[in-house]
Amino acid sequence: MRLAHLHRTRAANEDDRVLPLINVVFLLLIFFMVVGSLSATDPFAIAPPQSSNGEPGDPKDIVLLIGTDGRLALDGRVLEAASLKSAMTERLVDAPAQEVHVKADGAAAATEVVGVMETLRAAGVERVRLMTVPGGVQ
Amino acid sequence: MTSPACVRRPLWPIVKVRRRRSLISLTPLIDVVFILLVFFMLASSFLDWRSITLSAPSAGAASASMEGAVLVEIRTAGLRLSGRPIDLDGLEASIRTRMAEKPGQAVFVKTAAGVPLQQAVAVLDRLSAAGVRNLSLIRDQAR
Repeated sequence: MRLAHLHRTRAANEDDRVLPLINVVFLLLIFFMVVGSLSATDPFAIAPPQSSNGEPGDPKDIVLLIGTDGRLALDGRVLEAASLKSAMTERLVDAPAQEVHVKADGAAAATEVVGVMETLRAAGVERVRLMTVPGGVQ
Repeated sequence: MTSPACVRRPLWPIVKVRRRRSLISLTPLIDVVFILLVFFMLASSFLDWRSITLSAPSAGAASASMEGAVLVEIRTAGLRLSGRPIDLDGLEASIRTRMAEKPGQAVFVKTAAGVPLQQAVAVLDRLSAAGVRNLSLIRDQAR
């Protein structure tokens, strides 16, 4: 009788010992769910340029990725520089939001990025948002 | 010796309820929650994106819209404001006074070949800090 009683309290105690762990893990889970933003992974990695000011806002709608060696990706699909204009014109027909978010690598040549922007202009894009991350420049 | 048993006796039903609940083990729950946690840790990004709004440059017809606009040149050797060499702080001060005189002034930033984007962004950053709203990036046509 006494032994069974002891056994039962120990079983209950084992659950009790795990409960703080579950609490902490749930808190971490909720933290990562709320604070982190889930987004599709880019087809290639870039190191965005750093700036000290600029309007906050995540890249959305039409996102154009420009890599160091001039590689391009529109909305997660890699494409050739030659087919950018037609792809962009097609994209603008679907969604006439005339604003493109450009995520370019900070080490890419500026003239190349401007060249891509000229292509965007030719495709009918009015405004370009150059995406940066805050950092200690200057 | 008898008194603790007397105190414990009323707790019996509670212990029983708890034991029945723990028939559903907590271990699979912890497994699932851990998997979810690892998923969200790996899949979420914490980059704090900012954006600098630019007018898209047009390739050939830049000269027409450049009437009355301020031209900032970024060369590998340094900065030039309307052809005169200037440093970053001087550029910001000078642009700030011009913006005070004429709000809505268009500013064109011309980058030379070999300038990394980071350097151009540093200049654009200063210009937007100086209050320029009509910014445009252009490049050297004579290449």
